[in-house]
Amino acid sequence: MSARNRELLALIPVALLVTAGFAAVLIVESNQLGNLSVLYGVYFLALCLITHLVIRRRLPDADPFLFPLVALLAAFGMVMIYRIDDGLARDQANWFVLGLVLFAATIVFLRDYEVLERYRYVIATVGIGLLLLPRLPGIGAQTNDAYLSIQFGSLSFQPTELAKICIIVFLASYLREKREVLVVGARRIAGITFPPLKHLGPLLVVWGASMVMLVFIRDLGSSLMFFAAFLALLYVATARISFVIIGMTMFVVGAWFFANTVGHVQERFDIWLDPFDKADSAGYQIAQSMFAQADGGLTGRGLGEALLQLPAVSPACAADFPNCGAILPAPHTDFIYAVIVNELGLFGAAAVVMIYGMIAARGFKTAIIADDGFSKLLATGLTTVLALQAFVIIGGVTRVIPLTGVTLPFISYGGSSIIANFVILALLLMISDKARRRVREQNEAYEAEYA
Amino acid sequence: MNDLEPIAVALKFGFLAVLYLFLLWVMRMALRDLRATASPGLDTGYHELPPPRADSEDAFLEVLAGGGLTEGERFDLFGGVSIGRSPDADIRLDDKYASGIHVRLFSRGGLHYVEDMNSTNGTLLNSEPLHGEAELAHGDVVRIGDTELRFDPGGS
Repeated sequence: MSARNRELLALIPVALLVTAGFAAVLIVESNQLGNLSVLYGVYFLALCLITHLVIRRRLPDADPFLFPLVALLAAFGMVMIYRIDDGLARDQANWFVLGLVLFAATIVFLRDYEVLERYRYVIATVGIGLLLLPRLPGIGAQTNDAYLSIQFGSLSFQPTELAKICIIVFLASYLREKREVLVVGARRIAGITFPPLKHLGPLLVVWGASMVMLVFIRDLGSSLMFFAAFLALLYVATARISFVIIGMTMFVVGAWFFANTVGHVQERFDIWLDPFDKADSAGYQIAQSMFAQADGGLTGRGLGEALLQLPAVSPACAADFPNCGAILPAPHTDFIYAVIVNELGLFGAAAVVMIYGMIAARGFKTAIIADDGFSKLLATGLTTVLALQAFVIIGGVTRVIPLTGVTLPFISYGGSSIIANFVILALLLMISDKARRRVREQNEAYEAEYA
Repeated sequence: MNDLEPIAVALKFGFLAVLYLFLLWVMRMALRDLRATASPGLDTGYHELPPPRADSEDAFLEVLAGGGLTEGERFDLFGGVSIGRSPDADIRLDDKYASGIHVRLFSRGGLHYVEDMNSTNGTLLNSEPLHGEAELAHGDVVRIGDTELRFDPGGS
């Protein structure tokens, strides 16, 4: 079966899941089983089919599983958000369409992603500019203490999401050029190869940048995401595990230092270590998220069954309940994973984590079969940043690491996140198409010669 | 609660069942894909040698480190090869310090030789700078930039 037919086939169960999901939610919400859910399923399938045709036309050899897996995540998101608030779901559907349009536009207009390597300093500048935008007075906006979004009237946008693409592209092309320099003249001490001190420069610079992010943007999650992606790239570029060990140690020491000195970082750590101590104020979100997840059990309460809002208190805010009687605050963004666990249980949640795992596996596979340094590093970087983002928010919600407000890729409500992640997917598929085409042509040549 | 409740429960378990069947299918396909592309890579246009046989005659170079080549990869030296960064080289290196055509290896009268092709950054033969050509003996290490290749005359 060709790659594209495989992709087409894989989209059918995804469409089936959307339909089933909407049907379940509609039964709970309005106690009826109409054809609305089928209609939504058909819309979804139609959108995926159009995208599939674009991929078929432009990237015939691209990885067949990446797009269906992403579509499945988007389907999860759409059903969950519809279940939380159908108005938000309409917005999300629009963002999804826009994301697919940008996905197609990236594939059609960029053609050869290798030109990105030439504009790396421009791209890096744009990336850093985007990261700093939320701190600009006037347009910067603070959500949950962190400076992550900018506000134009009623439209809010999270520039970090786009910045991550720029920074990965820059790091990939920078390390592609400098990787030899970084491994020359290493010394072995106690079985670990240490790079010479002068070559720790880039590591120190990026570490410094991530510490600045931690303090100024006040977001451990993004800071961890960028720094860990950098370490992953550095490791792939140089094959020196010592860089990773040194870098991780530096990050932990830095984060620990700021956790003890800077107030808002400290509070994040406190509610991470013991959310129930302040369960009525700062720790409320995490405590409620823990309760919601525990309540889900093995197979969950069923789609549409999670209790998110106290019926008596909403919409008039009662003083007795923080967050206007919302049992689980921010269920459509940060805590959407907790809602999934509550409604689909351990099995559903494990499936979501597995989907991210498979996307990561396909991404790294792409990096392995790509034959030039830039493609390898770019595929690694993009995959890592996607996987790390999922880790940071799922880890935050399940209290593995301190909670930070990043979105769950492709699932959470949020325009910037959906758009940025679809651009990442487009780039991954372009790298994959080039690499797999080369492998296929070689195999064909080999068979022609020896068959 | 209502008469649709059985359907809701069925949908819940059906959703999970379809979800897991789908994931299982993707995993199986991906695994098969992994095995399929694990077949010999033909990156350089040179065929990797099968594991050495006792009656093997051909000399080969074994990759020790670097250059975008896989450690342990072997290159047949039959008919001579050129090594360098240019796409025209028989063994293509992804090494910053390699010249377009950095060295060539050839055989003369049953002996194998390595010759530096006036490379910019030079070649080390067993840690000594190589000038012009030199005869290769079993186990000699040729170093180009970060890339190390070991010569093995093959045979038994």
